[in-house]
Amino acid sequence: MNIAATKTAPASAAVPGVPQDRLAAWIEHWRRPAGASAVAVQLGLLLLILLTGGVVYATGGTGYVWVHMMYVPIILASGAFGLRGGLVSAVVGGLVVGPFMPQDVAMGVPQDTANWLFRSLFFLLIGAFSGLLFSWGNRQLERLRATHLALIETHEELKAAQMSLIQNAKLESVGRLAAGVAHEVKNPLAVIQLGVDYLTNTVKGDDGMAETVLDMKDAIERADTVIKGLLDFSRSEQLALAPCDLNALLEETLLLVKHEVTRNHVTVAKDLQEDLPPVELDRNKIKQVFINLFMNAIQAMNSKGGTLGVRTRRQLLATAAVEQSRGRASHFGPGDDIVVVDVEDTGPGIPEEKLDQLFDPFFTTKAIGSGTGLGLPVSRKIIELHGAAIGISNREAKGAAAQIIFKLAERSRS
Amino acid sequence: MTMAKKRILVVDDEAGMTRMLRRNLESTGKYEVRTENSGSAAVTAAREFRPDLILLDVMMPGVDGGEVAAQLKEDAALDNIPVVFLTAIVKQEETAPTGTSIGGYEYLAKPVKLEDLVACIEKHIGRT
Repeated sequence: MNIAATKTAPASAAVPGVPQDRLAAWIEHWRRPAGASAVAVQLGLLLLILLTGGVVYATGGTGYVWVHMMYVPIILASGAFGLRGGLVSAVVGGLVVGPFMPQDVAMGVPQDTANWLFRSLFFLLIGAFSGLLFSWGNRQLERLRATHLALIETHEELKAAQMSLIQNAKLESVGRLAAGVAHEVKNPLAVIQLGVDYLTNTVKGDDGMAETVLDMKDAIERADTVIKGLLDFSRSEQLALAPCDLNALLEETLLLVKHEVTRNHVTVAKDLQEDLPPVELDRNKIKQVFINLFMNAIQAMNSKGGTLGVRTRRQLLATAAVEQSRGRASHFGPGDDIVVVDVEDTGPGIPEEKLDQLFDPFFTTKAIGSGTGLGLPVSRKIIELHGAAIGISNREAKGAAAQIIFKLAERSRS
Repeated sequence: MTMAKKRILVVDDEAGMTRMLRRNLESTGKYEVRTENSGSAAVTAAREFRPDLILLDVMMPGVDGGEVAAQLKEDAALDNIPVVFLTAIVKQEETAPTGTSIGGYEYLAKPVKLEDLVACIEKHIGRT
């Protein structure tokens, strides 16, 4: 996840997705000089014009073929500065090889006024034509670039929409399955449960039997837990929203997992911002989310001890984009007044390639039998019902971090 | 015999379930149990058996638990018999350990533990 990801503005030169070779990069640089580099290009062009004049002078005057070399700086100028560049360079070029061209050069070929004026007119035509051509080309390029960017953006949006559709379809089919499975599995499970209860009362005195029955009871409970998770997941949830003190809710939930915290030698580090405004939420459902996150964090530390970090803070969303995991679009925008809840552990973290799968139903990193793979999907569903966002990432230091952001309702703002 | 056993009518389309419920409830020594495996037979059985409490499965082919309960309500002789629904489509948390009232009826979630079942029955018809 990247809740605080900054969307980088597309660079003005390079078109994303289009590979740039060195020549293209150079042309790109020359095509649109600005500021100091514009002055440098102008000076360079002037130098080139004077140099051409020098060559014309040295080779015997304007009567020879070298005078045509003046087209080069004129075309280059119109490339860099459009029509204006073409015309200005044509005038300058015309003057350089015009009236100021000495008549007594070696092998001097005389020229009269009509001659150089006519030539200057010719330069102007070249400058105007190439300037217009370059301007037109530039406009086409800009339009192409804009179209390309729009296309890339649309493509990204489509991809995100497709991902979200696939995800929704997946969840929906799991949901439909769940109710059926719940009914079909719970009935036989009920028979087994009562059978085991009956045996418990009749096999007293036989240790082996008693132990067997106990194992069976555990197994029934585990199966029932999975079914319950499925039902949680499949329910179309109705939220009972009420303004709630998140800090108090977190403290309350921490009490519920206190036994697990102690048993696994975990230290709880709380950093809860005081005067947090109340958040509109369904206490019980959000509590379920917190329990899931706490239990995941505690289990990640695997009874080796560690620190469970719980933090709350209010802030304004500063960045342009809030991306949930799997790049889903969300309705958060810059300047949103939000409350952030962080739950962190100091466990081994989550393998990068698995980060994407964390919210998939039945995906679990826990040992077989100890996780249903439904905790996080259920949590995300609850969070999304609240119009909030949840993401999980690895901390830079050791461990994993879950982050939930709630948007504050208008009336919560002060 | 110091006290008459309380009568319980168990209705569930699954024979294994009714057998298990009968075996467990009878093993407590407190109850006399009659079982039926269809909703359609339930009301007739209730008239004949005059149970103190009815354990009723919700989802049954044909006449389901809800219809059975409605028919019982319409019969003046049967409408005061407490009905406890057993259902696979709610979770334990949605029923308290001794049952929760939804729409005026008690519901117990399957799989139900014997102790929870007995506690729920005793809540309605008292200890025997």
